[in-house]
Amino acid sequence: MFANWRKKSVEPAVSSDMLSKQRRYNSLVKALHADIFRYAYWLCGDKHVAEDITQETFLRAWRSLDSLKDDKAAKAWLITILRRENARRFERKQFDYSDVEQDTLEDNISNSSEEQTEQYLIRRQIGKLDIEYREPLLLQLIGGFSGDEIAELMELNRNTVMTRLFRARSQLKELLEKNDLRGQSNG
Amino acid sequence: MDELKFRRQAYEDPHNQDADFLTQINAKPENQALINELKNLDAKLTNALKVDVADDLADKLILRQQLQQHHKQRRQTGFLVAMAASIAFVIGVSFSLLRLGPVDLAEHALAHVYHEDMALHLDQNVNFNQVNAQLASLKDFGNAKFTQQPGKVYYTSYCDFQGVKSLHLVVQAEQGKVTLFIVPLEKRMVLDQTFADGKYQGMGFETADAFILLVGEDKADLSYVKEEIKNTFI
Repeated sequence: MFANWRKKSVEPAVSSDMLSKQRRYNSLVKALHADIFRYAYWLCGDKHVAEDITQETFLRAWRSLDSLKDDKAAKAWLITILRRENARRFERKQFDYSDVEQDTLEDNISNSSEEQTEQYLIRRQIGKLDIEYREPLLLQLIGGFSGDEIAELMELNRNTVMTRLFRARSQLKELLEKNDLRGQSNG
Repeated sequence: MDELKFRRQAYEDPHNQDADFLTQINAKPENQALINELKNLDAKLTNALKVDVADDLADKLILRQQLQQHHKQRRQTGFLVAMAASIAFVIGVSFSLLRLGPVDLAEHALAHVYHEDMALHLDQNVNFNQVNAQLASLKDFGNAKFTQQPGKVYYTSYCDFQGVKSLHLVVQAEQGKVTLFIVPLEKRMVLDQTFADGKYQGMGFETADAFILLVGEDKADLSYVKEEIKNTFI
């Protein structure tokens, strides 16, 4: 009798624990996988590598999901894991992704060809941006983080982050304007 | 706020909502234009950053995790099964090695006599020195030995008393033969002073190093051998 009663009460508690962890993980994946993948992509410049890093990041996240107390911090938490994962990749082997010559001509059927060309150019310029300038910009634009949050994530002081954001935007603006001019004179 | 600081802040984050910053935007049309330009740039950048994500990426992520979880569970159950098996194994082995609980020597002695019926019919005419040699090889046994021949010894052999190596002798008494067991002292053994069944009489006593059990058909013979042992065995 007692054994029966205990079995019934303990097992569902354990499995419901697992179940709620699984649900939490699933919603985390659904909500954030696109941002995480894009961040990884712009960090390493290769879709396959980005997918690998994303996989590793989420696996690690699953293993330590219990340590994530506040769901609002989930994005920053995942990005921290991802950055570590990316750094680990460089410890293993030095890849050369500095020249990001990616498959940038995406099939965006909805976009007109003019928009496609422009987007292609912008992507090239973002890819050419130094990683130290690119990363804070990614965190700001993809992650939607504030200067303070970026500083915390990158373990830099806020002024450095703000300077890098400033340089990133000025460089991109300049490069794109130059492209515009060239495009006009050619066209 | 000076011009330079405003430009810096604009480039750092055109969506800045600080009151100071907002006032500065509205102060000059050029500022307004710069902010619009930068916001436009941001929109383009944000768009450009949105590279296509494989439709099945989310599913893949969940699948990978579940496969890993599955493996982990299998590893865990495998580990538990192995653990249970080895515990069962150890318990089995230790039960066969150390049979726990008290051992009734008397019962054993009688059973032994019946079992080794042959011993009562043999005549090996053993010298006491030979018996001493055998005694010396018993484990956990002191220096006890016979100082002289305890009457005629017909038979001597090692035997097993619940895992304890002991000595089995057959000696001549006044009337007939008496079987004599010498068992090293052990705590879990229980020894009765006298015991008997339909055929045999038994007698047990303890010396400094051993339990001595005597089994024979005649009680007087037992007493005789007991005296003999007391005189010759130290």
